[in-house]
Amino acid sequence: MENTVVKIENLVKRYGDLIALDHLDLEIKKGEILGLLGPNGSGKTTTINCLLSLLSFNKGRIEIFGREMSPTAYDIKKNIGIIMQNVAVFDELTVYENIDYFCGLYINDKAKRKGYVEDAIRFTGLEDFVKFYPKKLSGGLLRRLNIACGIAHKPELIILDEPTVAVDPQSRNKILEGIQQLNRDGATIIYTSHYMEEVEQICTRIAIMDKGRKIAEGTKEELKRMIKNTETLTIEIIGLTDADRAAVAGLPHVYDTAYDGSKLTVYCSGGKHNLIRILGLLQEKEISFGRVYTELPTLNDVFLEITGKALRDKEE
Amino acid sequence: MFLHNLKYEFLTAVRTKDLLIWMILFPIILGGFFKFAFDGIYEKTTQFSTLKTAVVDEADDKNFRSVAESLSAQEKPLLDIVYTDRDNAKKLLNDGDVKGIIYTGKELSLSVAENGIDQTTLKFFVDKYNLRSRVISRAAQSDPQSIEKVAAALSEETDSVREIPLTEGNTDNAIQYFYNLLAMVAMFGSMTGLHISNVNQANLSALGARKNCSPTPKGTGICAALIATYIIEILCMLLSVTYLRFVLGVDFGDKLPLVYLSAALSGTVGVSMGFFIGSICCLSENAKTSISITGSLLLCFLSGLMISDMKQVMARKLPWFNKINPAAVISDSFYCLNMYSDYRRFTEKIVTMFILSVVFALLGFIMTRRKKYASL
Repeated sequence: MENTVVKIENLVKRYGDLIALDHLDLEIKKGEILGLLGPNGSGKTTTINCLLSLLSFNKGRIEIFGREMSPTAYDIKKNIGIIMQNVAVFDELTVYENIDYFCGLYINDKAKRKGYVEDAIRFTGLEDFVKFYPKKLSGGLLRRLNIACGIAHKPELIILDEPTVAVDPQSRNKILEGIQQLNRDGATIIYTSHYMEEVEQICTRIAIMDKGRKIAEGTKEELKRMIKNTETLTIEIIGLTDADRAAVAGLPHVYDTAYDGSKLTVYCSGGKHNLIRILGLLQEKEISFGRVYTELPTLNDVFLEITGKALRDKEE
Repeated sequence: MFLHNLKYEFLTAVRTKDLLIWMILFPIILGGFFKFAFDGIYEKTTQFSTLKTAVVDEADDKNFRSVAESLSAQEKPLLDIVYTDRDNAKKLLNDGDVKGIIYTGKELSLSVAENGIDQTTLKFFVDKYNLRSRVISRAAQSDPQSIEKVAAALSEETDSVREIPLTEGNTDNAIQYFYNLLAMVAMFGSMTGLHISNVNQANLSALGARKNCSPTPKGTGICAALIATYIIEILCMLLSVTYLRFVLGVDFGDKLPLVYLSAALSGTVGVSMGFFIGSICCLSENAKTSISITGSLLLCFLSGLMISDMKQVMARKLPWFNKINPAAVISDSFYCLNMYSDYRRFTEKIVTMFILSVVFALLGFIMTRRKKYASL
């Protein structure tokens, strides 16, 4: 129990008739990087806002560090760092001043704060930009400043709400590496995103949300084991007959096939050596084939199988 | 923690470009424009001017001619006399070339075409002449050297009628435009008050959300922001008065320290009003900004800052309104200070401004003290 940093019980949040959070339960242990994964509107940010006592909720209970969270729980807030989805810095203050200002909301001691601010600047790689105003920074640097403002006071719990939205790949990698470093330094992290690759890359545990509900939870391996599909094979074949396709579908561990005239897709569930078995059959029947691809299931497959829809919108 | 907040709120406010434009450049530019537009109007219309007068001397009054000659010979002559016949005099009067016609005879008589200060001066001169003609003619006959002194005495008395002051202050009507300008600048301060509310409420800005997540109590942050903004606003108002007084040479009368006091307090009224508007729940930031701008302009309009007759209309229809209308109270405080020698009305306005500042700020605090929001 003392290892639990955040405990959310039976949380319900309604906006009129719309249920934004539907009896949500969540527990985050010390030292974890918990990924809250879900499409836009699934309730990730609402969960964070309730957790931070910014939003009122209709039902449920939230505990952080073993104590009930409330807007005036300043001793709890002291140990939380928040990195908002929208960049929240003052345009009128320089990079250094912004970090110092937000750090000063948590740390009174001036000398201690100075050291913390310098650490945050080093950590986010903003050494060359300390005198810059935010409007002069690129999107990636601005995001890093946003992160520096949220972590400068060295919090035990860090909440990052989609911190890589609209960030170039290079800056995104730096941000993700930084988050892992913070975790290695001892911080417990809650990371919300609708980018499954990011969540897969850095999170030690993942909670998948949809329509305000937690639909699955576990490590990425656990989540992938929850679904039928364990392997998807794609083989370039021209002129495959229905009989040959039926033969492939009849192989052990194959539960579905699809053919579009040039590519045969084979969905396998469990089993080993599926690829060897399929290629052996094709050779036996003297069917010539081109390139062969094999894919392991992704979190998108997990989401697809549980909800019947893709995790990411097509335009994304 | 409070001082840390105060320091950065102050820095932020000083570096806000909108503030620089509305609180410093606006009064400088518009003040300069007013000065350019209205400068000298008052002097041109009310300064001492020689009165061009037609005299129909059918009685061939030598005494009058002597006196008139003396009056015309002074450094700033009271009368510029044209001797002519009756018909031509009437034509000159009708054409507006002379202010009046003096007819000689047993007594002087005067004919004027309209009423005004010049005509009143002429009437006063004629009445005085008639009353003292006997004295003057006697002096002219017995001691010709004394005519000049008698004429000077008559002129001096005539001037005294023109210059009886109703107030010790500046009676130039154009000064009202500068009062209005200062009131408008103070009312624009509401935008900075609105900004305080926006950046401290989680449902209005990401900054507000981030601040609300910190262990610094909301009241501390808002208090620091209000004080920093009050200081900046007060400095801007004082700068505006200094610029108007010492650069443009606008005459605010001889109670300049109290003009500064009034300007400083008016700055706090604007900020508090904006903070109050910004704290009204269930409105978006854009809606609040619109309310603040249109509200400020409407209050300025109703206080007569744009149409001077509006003040009288409001005094007749809603006499209480401009007593609490911040724009009217601010403008009136300068007016009272300039026009009235006693401080009763001015004190009334100052107290009203103080109460408005405190009430707006308190209401703002009460409305922003909510800790959780139904939606963000």
